Amino acid sequence: MGDPLSTTLSALADPTRRAILARLAQGDATVNELAEPFEISLPAVSRHLKVLEHAGLISRGREAQWRPCKLKGQNLKAVDDWLSVYRRFWEESFDKMATYIDELKHGEHDGRAKKNRR
Amino acid sequence: MDAQRKIADNELLIVRTFDAPPSVVFALWSRAAHLKRWMGPKNFTCPEATVDFRVGGTYRAMIKSTEYGENWFAGVYREIVPNKRLVFTFTWENEGPSAGVETQVTITFEERNGKTVQTFHQAPFRDVERRDSHVGGWSEAFDKEAAYAAKIAKEHAI
Repeated sequence: MGDPLSTTLSALADPTRRAILARLAQGDATVNELAEPFEISLPAVSRHLKVLEHAGLISRGREAQWRPCKLKGQNLKAVDDWLSVYRRFWEESFDKMATYIDELKHGEHDGRAKKNRR
Repeated sequence: MDAQRKIADNELLIVRTFDAPPSVVFALWSRAAHLKRWMGPKNFTCPEATVDFRVGGTYRAMIKSTEYGENWFAGVYREIVPNKRLVFTFTWENEGPSAGVETQVTITFEERNGKTVQTFHQAPFRDVERRDSHVGGWSEAFDKEAAYAAKIAKEHAI
């Protein structure tokens, strides 16, 4: 799980963190503001923020009291690229699925299909 | 950059209409012998597939090409409504950028004039019910997620 994309995907693989990112897309916010919609403790929110920060999805201000969180978009681009690989995987699989359905409709049954297998 | 839209884009949605009734299209997902005939992109074959088709059951399969070699993936069936709906996890086992990242696939099958509209959805996120249970409090699912986040955090020595 060491490469940047895995880190980003792991960070995104949680609905609370995703909701936090969606909130930050509307503007910077403090930990308290981010915690408000969730019935979870501040330490739990802080833990989520650490994961997001490590994944490079957010940055945080340095002031001790007022540490506003800010969304950083660059790493989401890597996720886009990852998705495009999946898209190709499935689109092309479904092309083959359509071809296979055609074969099935033209009288090939499981037993006989094998001899025509390419 | 429209970040909110970008986040929504992290989910994959592919809608296809197949010229066969839902019972046929559903069977192409539920039986290993069928899966081997279509799974994988162009220039890939799927020589290995095992399927334990029940909720909680696992599947594991391998696609292969001369260029990319053997690629294994596996998952667990989460929901099965025959000829209507199928939910399973999907994880690549090989080394690579997305190895070990669990995604969830949700497919619905809808009959339309003897054809099947297949709606395929894949996301690296949990489903809505579990998301809602997270928001509601420290559910079992949330504990699991928190433990996972902690594990990730530990691995990276935050």
